[in-house]
Amino acid sequence: MSNDMQHDPLNRLKGAGVPDPRAAAKQRALAAGMAAFEATRKKSSPATQGNHWGQRLTSIITSWKGKTIMDMRLPIGTAAVALLLLPLGYQLYSTTSMTPADTAKQQPAMVEAPPVEPAATAERAEAPVADMAVSAPAAPMTGGNTGIVTRQMSVGSPPAAAMAESDALYRPAPPPMPSPVMLPAEPGGDAFASFDEQRLKAVAEEPVSTFSIDVDTASYSYARRLLEDGYLPAPDAVRIEEMINYFPYDYPAAESAAVPFRPTMAVYPTPWNEKTQLLQIGIKGYVPPAGEDKPANLVFLIDTSGSMNEPDKLPLLKRAFGLLIGQLSANDTVSIVAYAGSAGVVLEPTAATDKASILAALDQLAAGGSTAGAEGITLAYRLAEQAKVADGTNRVILATDGDFNVGISDPDALEDFIRIKRDSGITLSVLGFGRGNLDDATMQALAQNGNGNASYISSFREAQKVLVEEMGGTLDMIAKDVKIQVEFNPAVVSEYRLIGYETRALNREDFNNDAVDAGDVGAGHTVTAIYEITPVGSGGELIDPLRYGTQAATGSGEEIAFLKMRYKLPESDVSQLIEQKVTADAVYGDIADVSDDMRFAAAVAAFGQKLRGSHYGTAMGWDAIEALARSGKGSDESGYRAEFIQLVRAASLLQPDTGSRCDAGASGEVCE
Amino acid sequence: MGLTAAAPIEAHAVTRALVVRAQNGDAEAFAELLADHYDMIHRTAWKWCGNRADAEDVAQDVCVKLGSALAGFDGRSAFSSWVYRITLNAVRDMQRAGRRRGKYADAYAEISPGEQAPEQEAAATSGQLWQAVRQLPEKQRDAVLLVYAEELSHAAAAEIMGIREATVSFHVHEARKTLRGLL
Repeated sequence: MSNDMQHDPLNRLKGAGVPDPRAAAKQRALAAGMAAFEATRKKSSPATQGNHWGQRLTSIITSWKGKTIMDMRLPIGTAAVALLLLPLGYQLYSTTSMTPADTAKQQPAMVEAPPVEPAATAERAEAPVADMAVSAPAAPMTGGNTGIVTRQMSVGSPPAAAMAESDALYRPAPPPMPSPVMLPAEPGGDAFASFDEQRLKAVAEEPVSTFSIDVDTASYSYARRLLEDGYLPAPDAVRIEEMINYFPYDYPAAESAAVPFRPTMAVYPTPWNEKTQLLQIGIKGYVPPAGEDKPANLVFLIDTSGSMNEPDKLPLLKRAFGLLIGQLSANDTVSIVAYAGSAGVVLEPTAATDKASILAALDQLAAGGSTAGAEGITLAYRLAEQAKVADGTNRVILATDGDFNVGISDPDALEDFIRIKRDSGITLSVLGFGRGNLDDATMQALAQNGNGNASYISSFREAQKVLVEEMGGTLDMIAKDVKIQVEFNPAVVSEYRLIGYETRALNREDFNNDAVDAGDVGAGHTVTAIYEITPVGSGGELIDPLRYGTQAATGSGEEIAFLKMRYKLPESDVSQLIEQKVTADAVYGDIADVSDDMRFAAAVAAFGQKLRGSHYGTAMGWDAIEALARSGKGSDESGYRAEFIQLVRAASLLQPDTGSRCDAGASGEVCE
Repeated sequence: MGLTAAAPIEAHAVTRALVVRAQNGDAEAFAELLADHYDMIHRTAWKWCGNRADAEDVAQDVCVKLGSALAGFDGRSAFSSWVYRITLNAVRDMQRAGRRRGKYADAYAEISPGEQAPEQEAAATSGQLWQAVRQLPEKQRDAVLLVYAEELSHAAAAEIMGIREATVSFHVHEARKTLRGLL
């Protein structure tokens, strides 16, 4: 570098003052370093001794155990879940035909490892720990201190997994003789917001339960994809209400758009607890008559980053949008904006009847590069405003595999931006694709702020469900900010517990506060909420009554509970109220008497609880869940329920009933 | 006592001895090693990140990594180069993982170089320069900071970055082009 300028400006960088380190921080860092050193030393000393005659006998556990001690920031459960998956994945592989089609293509990423027996792989996993930390110190510790990890739980992230995804396409196809240990590791990098299960509450103390409805279904599609590939989803990926609401239920629909819901309620015995009952509340959104065709103005905001270059991402997205465009009519417009990679306006607002140009524009999209498409989102909203239709749907549909680098990098600012745009009438839906990079928490947050829905598109079939069968629900909002409040009668019910809706809980006072945002319902959407309630005197109470200060239950014993729902019509900012009593009329003595839909919903709830490793209802066997689902299958025209039954079976193989879910990392032992 | 690449020969020998002892499992030696290098790590992290919070986080990360990876240090490069490399990687990882922190970094960047303002001539332009350099592409930024802020030779920078010497010069050249407006 020849630079003969006498005053090289870069020389100004020299000798810049840097504040001295703070003693406290230094001490903390040194202590952390020492702890890591000690942990590594303890871990490595037996390993080096064993080296000479074969590490094959050393257990993979010791090294991983060390890691959890060494680095408490790693979610402890992750390691244990990953341990659980190898042997169980093997079992699944050898006993069922559910071999995932894409397993084959992912294997060559580990091509350097000759197919050897599991013990040898364990050895490989252990040996290069030290080297790896040097060449890629990122692997297990990325973002350790950044505070992100505490908010989101990332699902097991062995570095090989990430490489497997991207390298897979560029390697030659492997011989079709998969060694079980070469199954792709559990998809790493998908991030989910962590949440605690709903608590059991005593009616005497907290008689009122309030929550926002949720019509998202992403959790079910994600869990299904994992189960089909032979993995158990992480507990935080299981949101039970989204599983229940995935399925269409045949609740009676409301008669007019003015009162868009009619709640359907039933109380019936709990399948997993003979002393309690389930209170099921179902609503179905009003379906406008077929003749009504509201204009729609859709802007597709499409992620074209390099990671979208996989068969289940951009190509699937193109076909999915092709489907959606087939559903649109002459008074709809479509525009396309790409971000990341090839950025910019791909298609100016175009009448939906001009299918040829729209499809041609879609076809041009190519994934590649990692250039930040700086203004993707503002561009999309600008197009949406340009083609804005009064009295119709104005919506931006963001399709991504988790790269939200849409131009506003601060998540809070992004949410605010979307919220402000929502108030001006442009809503946002998010479609998630692929896995390995999926940022579920952000997806949910954006869609909730945008009054839209978040869906996870795992396959063409799912695209068909979301974009064709449920397009009305996806695009035509009939009510917004729908909140439910249930007050239980302490004379009849002693304890209750809402199943799911953890991420949607509201405060009691939020119910009447119209400023508090809540979920939105599209045309024909069904929403189901299930409470497990313990009748007074049933003996099923888990909470002991108070010795002091208990008040005698007031109110007659005729009403079980009182349901209140608030919603706003799409154009209104003032909420409407629906009230309904739950009386003894709604009570069924036997679960066989309730409708198929109710039985099926109960089975899905039980499945979700079990998959999540809930504190409740896990005693119910997979067989019993399957039988219950089967009994509630009904005509099942779309086949979703049959598919659910298959999933229950898959889960039962992955996590047999005999041993409960591996107690995450507490013991650090492998669970069989 | 910061130990820079320009440290005297004895210091190198001491460090090497400490490394060997620590690799053999001597915790005391490792503690000494860490204490010797912490200031240098922190200083580097500060220069790269431009704010205290990130610098401390990175420095702590690096300490942890040193603790777990020391056994893998093979002595082919100088220990300080190795520490530099780990620090730079940690900075990179943190910045990639935590784009959300960007807003804080920006907020700090307004103040940070200016904190030292009274001692510096033309503090304002210097602040702009630092900010601009930190926003360069990773390779360019690393090269410029190693060569100018850390005052290392191109050869030493090349060793740390794991690239050839000519490539370092190229990155510096590119950086100069990028920064042309400011310089």
